[in-house]
Amino acid sequence: MSGMLDSGTRMAVENGDEIEIIDMLGAGGQGEVYRVRTPGGDKALKWYYPTSATPDQETIVRELVTRDFDDDRFLWPEAYVNAHRGSFGYLMGLRPERYKGLPDLFRRQLRTSTGALLTACLYTVEAYQALHSRGIAYRDISWGNIFFDPSTGDVLVCDNDNAVVEGDASGISGTMKFMAPELVRADPGARPGTQSDLHSLAVLLFMLLMNHHPFEGRRELGIHCLDEAAERKLYGKNPLFVFDPTDDSNAPDPMEHLTVLATWDAAADKLQELFRRSFTVGLHEPARRVRESEWRDALRAVLDSVVECASCGRQNMTEPGENPPPRACWGCRAQLVLPPRLTVTTPPPRTEHHIRLRRAARVQAHHLLPEPTRHDCSDASLVAELVEHPSKPGRFGIANRSGETWRGTRSDGTPQQIGPGQTVPLRSGLELDLGSGVRAAVRAK
Amino acid sequence: MTLGVRRWDTLADSVQGVGKRCNQDWYACEGTGSGEDPLVLAVADGHGSARHSRSELGARFAVDRFLVRAAEFGRAARDCHEPGRLTRLMTYARDDFPRALVHDWREEVLGHWSRHRPVADDGAREPEPDEKLLLYGTTLIGAVLTPWLFVAWQIGDGDLAVVEHDGTLTRPLAPEEEDLGDETESLCGPEAWAAVRMHWAPVFEEARAPRLVVLSTDGLSKSFASADGYREFVAGLDDRLAAQGSSGVREVLPQWLRQASQYSGDDTTLTAALRHRHGDVAPEDVARDAPPHPAALPLETEQKTET
Repeated sequence: MSGMLDSGTRMAVENGDEIEIIDMLGAGGQGEVYRVRTPGGDKALKWYYPTSATPDQETIVRELVTRDFDDDRFLWPEAYVNAHRGSFGYLMGLRPERYKGLPDLFRRQLRTSTGALLTACLYTVEAYQALHSRGIAYRDISWGNIFFDPSTGDVLVCDNDNAVVEGDASGISGTMKFMAPELVRADPGARPGTQSDLHSLAVLLFMLLMNHHPFEGRRELGIHCLDEAAERKLYGKNPLFVFDPTDDSNAPDPMEHLTVLATWDAAADKLQELFRRSFTVGLHEPARRVRESEWRDALRAVLDSVVECASCGRQNMTEPGENPPPRACWGCRAQLVLPPRLTVTTPPPRTEHHIRLRRAARVQAHHLLPEPTRHDCSDASLVAELVEHPSKPGRFGIANRSGETWRGTRSDGTPQQIGPGQTVPLRSGLELDLGSGVRAAVRAK
Repeated sequence: MTLGVRRWDTLADSVQGVGKRCNQDWYACEGTGSGEDPLVLAVADGHGSARHSRSELGARFAVDRFLVRAAEFGRAARDCHEPGRLTRLMTYARDDFPRALVHDWREEVLGHWSRHRPVADDGAREPEPDEKLLLYGTTLIGAVLTPWLFVAWQIGDGDLAVVEHDGTLTRPLAPEEEDLGDETESLCGPEAWAAVRMHWAPVFEEARAPRLVVLSTDGLSKSFASADGYREFVAGLDDRLAAQGSSGVREVLPQWLRQASQYSGDDTTLTAALRHRHGDVAPEDVARDAPPHPAALPLETEQKTET
């Protein structure tokens, strides 16, 4: 693939370094990305198309570089690369191979799981929350910016050259699909900011979980090529959720929109409810949009309630908490059999986390906190996991993966100590003191 | 930025596979490549088996509907130098164009089916829409070229080869893993747009635009024992076009495709666009002075043994 820059071209970085183009990695809507050799190792160079290399864009890039935003969830502009033949660019880290783009997910080219997708959503929410807490509005959240690891759900936000300081009224580029309706309509006084990002975030989460846009039902089928007026109506003037509870005139077409009908059916009510609010009342009243903390709590609760189908092994969402309604597997339609539930109760402000004890279920460090600021589902923060007895298949126990010794009480009142690395047999009624005031109890349902 | 109107030479042909009932491929190339009149190329390969008994029509519908959509898209790209416009065009090309195209094709197919129902089918149940679509199953590769943009889409097998301005040969839509056996993605599949691959390449300097774009059905690439044979074919075609101009190649193209078809046993179709370079001398003069080319195409490239 041939782009604007040839392999071997040497360029100057504003910090005084010299870089050399190795090869082109891809082309997008604003520019091209190259692999480059730098004194500090290989990096990625985003090089703007001449049409995108505007003074405003240069100002944004320079401002972001000076912010020196150190967060491993973002590929952030690290250094400005000087103008060359009518354009400019910036250096950022190379995206590791394990991170894949959402278009690949929608084209079904990725093997992933319900748990990994929910984890990716949770991490995405926290990534944008981290930006907003620093007074940065993302302005251009879209599926082209998010990359995720299909096996773990780890998220990397790329192309961060559209983030601006909250309230900045710089022009918005790109698609209307993710823009808040008031921005699409260009309402007087409407500016990109945290409130409009909350709409974009809800669209992105819907697309991650449902593989479909929330407003693209029957109405979009009549839209012609790049018909801006029709798109403004669909996304701005008269947006209508495909699952609007009171108006089905934009419902999914049973022939054209098979995926969203299936994925919506497989989603937990708790998430459906947040999407309904986002795409009904939230369309017209920005203050009532679903906040990041609400998404975070709901996504964590649903993630903790994922179970595997005993018949086909596929992961399924179930309703969090006690006695959820019966559900059929989205894959094979067999009735789901619910495993026992572990209730983890944190110290004040007392919060309960309900974890369905499916095969290899895990308790993470964030379960021990009433209000975790960042979730981590990796081995690094593992506290406990459900393991199968090595010589007695079908018998399970809870293994202590923490550095603390737990105190347990069986249902008959017998006390027991479970040291790091030890396993306690899984029994209904088992109670555990996980230390630091955190208690856990096993319930049958 | 140089945004002049370029001229393209095009060539296209198709031959029917040996023993085939009819040629189930279809192709077209239309337009000059200007902003007002984008150059659109397309080839389609109807699946051809008994369960796809109307696939030659499906291939034709695919090409016809692609021509309309792609030309519309190419004309919409005239204002691509306006801020934000390229981003919008790219997301449209990636996300919306495939859906619109598949929708168009389905409409055409279902309309044709309802106008041409099987006769003497008294008592037979009405087929489901997906069963009707299956009859017309086809692949499609299409490209649109304007002075500022080269975009291509593909569903299913077949090949898009691009010779870049510096002679580098790429196959930008080649899948990471080839389809197994005769199975291929198809316009008749459920939510077929999800299987459409897209190549996006804005052009900001005329001199860096691709110099040759070749679309072909898999009857051509299958005639070679390996992917290297196909690459050699395209590289040789590029050399031959540089040496003899398109008129010379146009004359021998049917013979090449017939030869390939004999090896693959399949319908074989190719359409290509050759960019005229600034300062080119007339192709006839070059042809007269050029030394004999070492590769007679495709006759001397590696060929698959006929089975």
